[in-house]
Amino acid sequence: MTWGSAVFVVSTVTALLGALAAVGMRNIFHNILGFAVAMLGVSGLFLTLGADFLALVFILVYVGAVAIVMVYAVMLSQPLDQPPRPRSLLKIFGSALVAGFGGLAVWGVLRSAPWHPRGAPLRDSASAAGFRFLTDYVLAFELISVLLVVAMMGAVMITRRRAPAEGR
Amino acid sequence: MTLLQYLSVAALLFGTGLYGLIQRRNLVAMLIALELMLASVSIAAMALTTYAGGDTSVGLVIALIIAGVAAAETAIALSLFVVIQRSTHSIDVEQLSELKG
Repeated sequence: MTWGSAVFVVSTVTALLGALAAVGMRNIFHNILGFAVAMLGVSGLFLTLGADFLALVFILVYVGAVAIVMVYAVMLSQPLDQPPRPRSLLKIFGSALVAGFGGLAVWGVLRSAPWHPRGAPLRDSASAAGFRFLTDYVLAFELISVLLVVAMMGAVMITRRRAPAEGR
Repeated sequence: MTLLQYLSVAALLFGTGLYGLIQRRNLVAMLIALELMLASVSIAAMALTTYAGGDTSVGLVIALIIAGVAAAETAIALSLFVVIQRSTHSIDVEQLSELKG
């Protein structure tokens, strides 16, 4: 077993176990931790694909920013001391059925499409992404910047408590 | 590693996220499941452009755009959840039925 396939197996197991913890556990805090672990596994998968820059971005954005912001939101919102309501067995079976069919459909479509395998691993992914973003995809790049600024200001405006004189 | 292995991992992650999105009632848990589905799409795009596409950097661009949009979406969604919790004292989707006739 080569190093690449060992990293692939470890990353896959990490990602899938983290994803199971992220959707399966009862405590919302454990869900967030499972989500962070799953994103570490996804970053490992990107490493085996040769996209080291993308792996670092995923760790920075998801494990470093999104998971922490989720913890903040849970602390601001969710009453963790209340006992969880019982889950309905019918809903669990129904959603497992729908998700199983959905995943199988995605897998079937991806499997049956006539891809043309071609082995050319990515080299120097950071400069490749930078070149693409400033030439062919410059409009998408600028729109993402605008979107992030608007989302940041919008989040502040939405959660701001209004002064009592304005009324709520 | 073959292309099919990456695509299978992506489909499994997608199915897990879909299950969580349907089954969970907590809004934050549903957002987590949605992020898992977006990450699975990133894996599929990256694997396809590496093993079967024309230009490998295009998958990188797609995955980075997905990450950026997901970050913006998380910021807005979480601030909305905080406001919802302030006004209704719950972030359970089954209790957010004020618009129901």
